[in-house]
Parts: sequence; C-alpha cells; structure tokens
Amino acid sequence: MSASSIPTEDPNVRFSQLDSLMNAMVDAFIVIDGSGNIERFNKAAEDMFGYAADEIQGQNISVLMADHDRAHHDKYISRYRKTGKKKVIGVGREVIGRRSDKSEFPADIAVGEVRGADGSLHFIGLVRDLTELREAQAQSFRQRQEMLNTSRLSTMGEMAAAMAHELNQPLSAIANYSAASLRLLKNENTDLDTIKEALEQINNQAHRASEVIRRTRDFTRSTETRREMTTVPDIMREVLPLAELDAHANNIALEVDIADNLAGIEVDSLQIQQVLLNLLRNGVDAMQGVEPEFRRITVSALYSAPGELSIVVKDQGEGISAETAEKLFNPFFTTKNTGMGMGLAICRTIAEAHSGSLEFRRNPDRGVSFVLKLPTKATG
Amino acid sequence: MKGTVFIVDDDDAVRDSLCFLLKTVDLASQTFTSGEEFLQNYDEEMNGCILLDIRMPGTSGIEVQKKLQELACKLPIIFITGHGDVPMAVEAMQSGAFDFIQKPFRDQELLDRIYQALEAHEADEEEASKEREARNRYSGLTPREKEVMEFVVKGAANKVIAIDLGVSQRTVEIHRARVMEKMEARSLAELVRMSMLLED
Repeated sequence: MSASSIPTEDPNVRFSQLDSLMNAMVDAFIVIDGSGNIERFNKAAEDMFGYAADEIQGQNISVLMADHDRAHHDKYISRYRKTGKKKVIGVGREVIGRRSDKSEFPADIAVGEVRGADGSLHFIGLVRDLTELREAQAQSFRQRQEMLNTSRLSTMGEMAAAMAHELNQPLSAIANYSAASLRLLKNENTDLDTIKEALEQINNQAHRASEVIRRTRDFTRSTETRREMTTVPDIMREVLPLAELDAHANNIALEVDIADNLAGIEVDSLQIQQVLLNLLRNGVDAMQGVEPEFRRITVSALYSAPGELSIVVKDQGEGISAETAEKLFNPFFTTKNTGMGMGLAICRTIAEAHSGSLEFRRNPDRGVSFVLKLPTKATG
Repeated sequence: MKGTVFIVDDDDAVRDSLCFLLKTVDLASQTFTSGEEFLQNYDEEMNGCILLDIRMPGTSGIEVQKKLQELACKLPIIFITGHGDVPMAVEAMQSGAFDFIQKPFRDQELLDRIYQALEAHEADEEEASKEREARNRYSGLTPREKEVMEFVVKGAANKVIAIDLGVSQRTVEIHRARVMEKMEARSLAELVRMSMLLED
C-alpha cells in the first residue's frame, strides 16, 4: 500500500484502521512524529526490539539505535526538515539497532514520510532484522575461504601423490630389470638376448616415466591459462561483501578508493579475488589489538605506471619486523598460530602467473601495504 | 630354495620385471594381474610366499589379505607399497603380514625378504606336517593307550601309572610299548614333543 492511497484524515484514525495490518507484518513498522518521538510500534517491532508498544510510545526513536547511529539521527531529521535533503528517505540503509537489553543487531531500514491532515510531518520506518542474513553470509564467507585455501592445497597434494605413484611404477620396473641384468652379467654363460630383452624393457619404462611428467606439466599449464576480461570494480564487487563482514566482525573500518579511469584486465578472476581476500584477511589479522583509532584498512586501485595498475591493501597494524619480512613470501612460513603459511606464497605465485607481482612496503606512518601489480592493455 | 613366489600386481611392467628378476636367482614365480585372479586360483596346496601390491584397482591388497585369512591361508605375505602408503602398510603388518617393502626397492632387499618368507613358510609347513602326522598316529591309539600316554609324558613311572589305572605294572609296560610304536617315537623326548604339538 502506497502512502498516496491512504485517505487524508486524522492520522491516528488512519493508523488504528491499519493496526491489524501492521501487526501482521513480518518487518517492524514504526511511526514517529517530526521530532522523532515514537507514535506507533507494531507487534514485529515489539519482538525485534524487546519493548512493549505502550512503554515505548512517546520516547525518542534514538533509544532504538546504537550510539554511533544515535548521534547522527537528530542531525539527519533537522537537516531534512531544513533543507529537504534526503539521506534515508526512499533509499533505505543499513543501521545497527539496539534492543531493550542493550544488545545490538544489524538492521535494514526504509523510511517514508506522511503528512497529517493538520500538515504535521510523520515518518514511517520499516525495519528488517539482518542478523540471520549476516550470519548466513559470514558462514558462506568462511566456507568459501576454506574452499579456496584447501582446494588449491589439496590439489597440489593430490597431484604430488598421484605423480609419485605413477612414477614409482616405471622406476620399480627399471630397478628390477637393471638389477636382474647386473646379476646375469656376473655369469659368463648368460645369453645376451636375455639382457637385450631387459634393456628394451628399461628403455620402454624410462619413456613411460617421462610421459607421466609430460602429462603432469600439461595439466598444470592448462589450469594456469584460464583468463577472462574483467575490471577491478567487478572483482572488488565479489570481494568486498566478504571482506566487509570480516572487517565489521573485528571492528575495523574498510575504505575503498578505486580510480575510475582503470582499463580492463585479463585475469583469472577467482584467483585474483583469492589474492585480495587473502591480503584483506591478513590486514584484519594485523590489526588485532590495535587501538580503535587506527583500525582502518584501505583498498585502493590506480595506475602505477603505463600499462600497469596496482591494487594496494593498506593496514595500520603493528608492521612487520625485518626478520619476518625476509621470509614473508616463503611457503610454510607463518607468524600465526593457525596458519599453514601458504597464503602469501600462493598469492605471489598467482600474481607472477599473471605477469604481475606482489610486494609489500612499510607505510610512512604505520602498518604495511601490500601491492598487487597487474598488467593492463590500456595506459592510464 | 623350495616354494613359489606368487606375484600379485596390476602393473604389467612391475609384475614382469619382478618375475624376470626372480628368474635370475632361480626362484620360481607365478604372476596374477589382480587380487581377484589370485583368489580364484588360490588353493591350499600352494607353497611359498605372496608378493602383494597394496594398491590395486578392484580388490585391494589389504582386502586380499583379509580374504586369505578367512581361508586360513598360511602363505607369508610381503606387501609392495608406494610412496605414502605407510599407514596402510602398518595396518597390514598388524593384521599379520610377514613384511612390506617400499617401491622402488633394491633387488637384494627384496630377495632377502623373499628368502626369509620362504624359510618361515617352510618351517611352518614342517611344523604343520609334523602336527598332522602326530594327530594321525594319535588317532590310532586305543582309549587306554591314550590314558597311559598322558601319564607317560607327564613323567609318571610305570608303577604309579599301574596304581592309578588299577592295572598291573606289566600291563602298563605293554601299553607303553604300544604307544611308542604307534606314535613312532624313538625316545620319551620325542613323544613329549609330539604331545605338545597335539595340545595346540
């Protein structure tokens, strides 16, 4: 039902007619007056925020907001009333709601306005609890990360095992034939045709072994050459929702600054996403225990040279010691308790497979930046 | 050396090269391309040892081992394992495998294990055939002779046996002589050894 179809009578009458409809809604439905005082509060709102309609009516809407949003809300309303500039109305945005027990939850709000018969201004807010959605997203984020990490590792491990097995067969046969031939040669009466037979078999098996190696090489090459045209914003669109969850969960602000003049890049999107997620994850880890004012990660993308763009992931963590820096990209090197130490090694391999590079540098103020450089066809 | 080496491996080259190697040291071998093929051809009269690939399509080496145990097969099994099969090899050893050897191996290493396995099997066979003979002879004794033999191998004197069984010492002596004769024991020590075989 749109606002325009509501007959213009006394708003209280209108709302009471809508009471049963309001209470049947899944989303919280809240009406406030022009000063932000709560006038209506449906059943879903009672359940979501833990207040009874009776006790909340007349209170300011800011009691339902987390501190951060609360400070800004009064400003929004007064600015809107003065300037008519809409921040939320008709747009919807994500906020942090606060329940009667002070616990907080992510919520999506949509706001509309209605005028009473007397011309007074009222706002209608529809609030949807995003807790479950966020949890599901975080869950899929973790699964995806695990999948990305383990798929590559287990593929490498499985390939190595399969190759070892495949090579062991011809090697065993060669060892057996040659050992037998040596034994036969000790005996002067040995028929040389028997030795010849063994040598032919050795020859065959040596070729069989090299065939195994050739096939393995073809396999690894074919998996490395998947390339598609894409853009940095497209890649970031995939990465950011996941990275934001991670950052949010760790009280870290995530800023994104992508130059708008970037040309397309020809890459394996999944692999580049994996690199960026890895760098962002490392950034989040680097800022554990850092004071709130520094808890900020910046991702920027820009032309760093003609035909070369850089994606920079900058943290403000504790930095990296000279000793650690030396081994940073080595496989199986880790400073974490739970890591395999493969993240950065794999990231660099991926960068190099794209004719790019992955380096790190210390920021002038604090923390480090990881710089992923990738070739692009157009020049900046 | 008596006995045949039964080679079970799905890889043609590995199988044939093993057969070739064993021929140079005059060891008889017989090859099978799968666990199934070996199980189909297995019979109790087989004599020697089994060289069994642990990793095969179809029936795995471990499964062949289990099936053979169900058939009360006494042939020693040497498992051939590859890179990274150690946990499986350990399992096989715990289930009574004779030994395992990792591919690719030195010929002498393999041959030593095969000789040991063949010797072990021969000793087993000898023991088993002695036991079979002892049982066979024992079954020919009368109940009274069996009673007397039980006393004799415990070291009881004829006089004691006579009192215990309520017969004359002379009767005991006759039974005793019949036991030694029927069991083909040349000495008391030999009779005691045979009685120990019968206990198992």
